Amino acid sequence: MREFLATRTAVLDWLRTLGQQGDVFFPQPMGENSFNFDKVRKNSLLAFEDFDAGSKDKPFRASTCVQPPGKRLSPNNEQIFRFSKNGNGEYQLTPTLDERERILAGVRPCDLKAIHLMDRVNSDGIPDAHYLSRRQNTAIIAHDCLQPCDEHCFCDATDSLHWRQGADVFLTPQPEAQLLMEALTECGEQLLSAAGFPPCDDIEKRRALAEEKRAKPFGRHFDAPLQQVIDAVSNSWESPVWDKHVERCFACGTCNLVCPTCYCFDLQDDFNIGDPDSGQRTRSWDGCMLEEFAVVAGGHNFRPQLAARQRHRIKRKLAYLPARFGDGSFCVGCGRCGHQCTVDIDIFDIANDLLAATEAKP
Amino acid sequence: MKPVDFDANVLTPHMARILEARDMTAQERFFRLQLPRPLNHRPGQFVMASIPGIGEAPISISCGPRDDDQLELLVRNTGSLTRTMHQLQAGDAMGIRGPFGSGFELTEFEGHDVIFVAGGLGLAPLRSLIEPVVGDPQRFGRATLISGCRTPADELYREQMQAWAKLPNTRIIRLVNDTAHLPWNGEVGLVTAPIAKLEMDVPNTLAVLCGPPVMYKFVIMALAARGLPSAQIFIDLERRMRCGIGKCGHCQINHVTCCQEGPVFRFSDLESLPEALT
Ligand SMILES: Cc1cc2nc3c(=O)[nH]c(=O)nc-3n(C[C@H](O)[C@H](O)[C@H](O)COP(=O)(O)OP(=O)(O)OC[C@H]3O[C@@H](n4cnc5c(N)ncnc54)[C@H](O)[C@@H]3O)c2cc1C
Ligand code: SF4
Ligand code: SF4
Repeated sequence: MREFLATRTAVLDWLRTLGQQGDVFFPQPMGENSFNFDKVRKNSLLAFEDFDAGSKDKPFRASTCVQPPGKRLSPNNEQIFRFSKNGNGEYQLTPTLDERERILAGVRPCDLKAIHLMDRVNSDGIPDAHYLSRRQNTAIIAHDCLQPCDEHCFCDATDSLHWRQGADVFLTPQPEAQLLMEALTECGEQLLSAAGFPPCDDIEKRRALAEEKRAKPFGRHFDAPLQQVIDAVSNSWESPVWDKHVERCFACGTCNLVCPTCYCFDLQDDFNIGDPDSGQRTRSWDGCMLEEFAVVAGGHNFRPQLAARQRHRIKRKLAYLPARFGDGSFCVGCGRCGHQCTVDIDIFDIANDLLAATEAKP
Repeated sequence: MKPVDFDANVLTPHMARILEARDMTAQERFFRLQLPRPLNHRPGQFVMASIPGIGEAPISISCGPRDDDQLELLVRNTGSLTRTMHQLQAGDAMGIRGPFGSGFELTEFEGHDVIFVAGGLGLAPLRSLIEPVVGDPQRFGRATLISGCRTPADELYREQMQAWAKLPNTRIIRLVNDTAHLPWNGEVGLVTAPIAKLEMDVPNTLAVLCGPPVMYKFVIMALAARGLPSAQIFIDLERRMRCGIGKCGHCQINHVTCCQEGPVFRFSDLESLPEALT
């Protein structure tokens, strides 16, 4: 596969041009220090951080997008099928598959790994046609992180920082406002070749430059290696830690909503207003922190206590799904849940506490 | 990513035609459906049944394996969708996806005595296994059904149970919690009661349980008291389910996905799952 070198301005211009031709998504400022992974339009504000971002007085570069890029592959309220009913009471049902081509650009390693994990989930067993038809028509232009995005980041602790799989093009910041562009797949190769960027002929040196610049240690780290964290979470069923953090939780479900590896959903039907013989079934995001998540007919709730629901959320990320898929942690360390929680409940702290509690045991 | 083959209709039902619809009790309505193609299901599996515009819910397959393209369901009126289903008549349409879940492996029951314990609506899924077992006495051992419900008015599949009772090698014990001053020719009590005095060839017996969550603990205790090991007990679990394909997350029990690995489990496989019988 080939490598190219271009200025950040040239790359942004290229993305803008692609955005004129089709659907391109890129992190865009939303308020003070927030980003939204939004469609690139004519006057969209697009930027990559400096190679030097992360100096002493400004240790972080920029926050992650509030909603992870991967959510573009399973949008909230997506239509699953349309239906109509004729005068004889016969139904016609048509599944909705979104096969439009799109590009997700500026995807960070943590979110790239999350997309890989969602690829696994949606291909597992009986595959999810709606996710996969979108995913298989999506190109990903990922971007390396040389500095942690903010004080919540712990991507290196969850083995996400060096993630490459799933990216078609991989961008690495370089001095003098340049970007190293590596094609990782055929699709990436086609994209870059068509753009006519100048080739890069000192790739090893370029990679080394970036590696040298990368913050060390990078972001937060657990008090033990990841496997020990996974073991501690896996082996903690009854633990006072489950009550400690949940004490201040509102069960609002924001932590589910912003997590790049939360994928639980609900389905609901509705009729079209004005034509009650037609309508659709849509899928919306759901969250295991919400009270009614495990309620069945008759009203029985299989997880009535908030602590049981939090334990479930944490165990899904750091025990259940890692065991099921054998692909490491399902928490990619993006820091969103801790960042967005009104009362600062952070999976990072919970994991460390479980680790401490496990080690304290005789 | 490497392209993956998928079925575009995975979350879109096929429309079946209702051949027969009748109220079995004030709460439960029985449906026999004509499917566009044979379902080829195993006992213990379920379908996602729906009315477009109203909603979709997991419903157990209530008939044994069959070669034709018909399907039988028993639906309790508990909410918005099931209430609307209760208004459906022969000739109307119902959406069906599936079959889903692992179900029972019939070969595992060959040559074994089987005790079925059904609480209330639990008889609906169990019927999918009872039918093949009592229908083939050469292949299976003695079949015992202990079926309990609240009052005689709540009893399901009454005529069928009486017909099964006449088959060779078959015992049917019908119970109510309370006769509610209605005529009743069965026993009064809980489904746990008959287990204590049941004639049982323990090493050669398998037990299959389906009912409300509260029932399991007590039935399992009663069976354990008779020395039946947990590897010889099967349990049909209920969880909230939205998709049936292991994606929506609602049915997860610890690390297990109930709609895929279940809803039928060997009890010995559940003992390591603290959330299973909560
Ligand atoms: C594997 C399995 C097999 C089942 N088999 C049968 C059967 O053979 N016959 C039968 O009558 N019922 C069966 N059920 C239960 C049936 O799915 C629920 O009664 C149905 O979902 C209620 O839907 P509703 O729209 O009428 O009620 P709603 O108006 O949606 O809700 C009524 C209550 O049911 C809960 N609920 C909502 N969705 C679900 C869901 N998907 N699963 C469980 N509870 C839910 C709600 O939280 C609420 O408490 C089965 C459930 C499972 C999981
Ligand atoms: S975001 Fe915070 S308060 Fe809301 S459910 Fe999650 S942990 Fe609880
Ligand atoms: S659990 Fe929290 S930190 Fe981990 S991936 Fe989800 S949102 Fe990010």
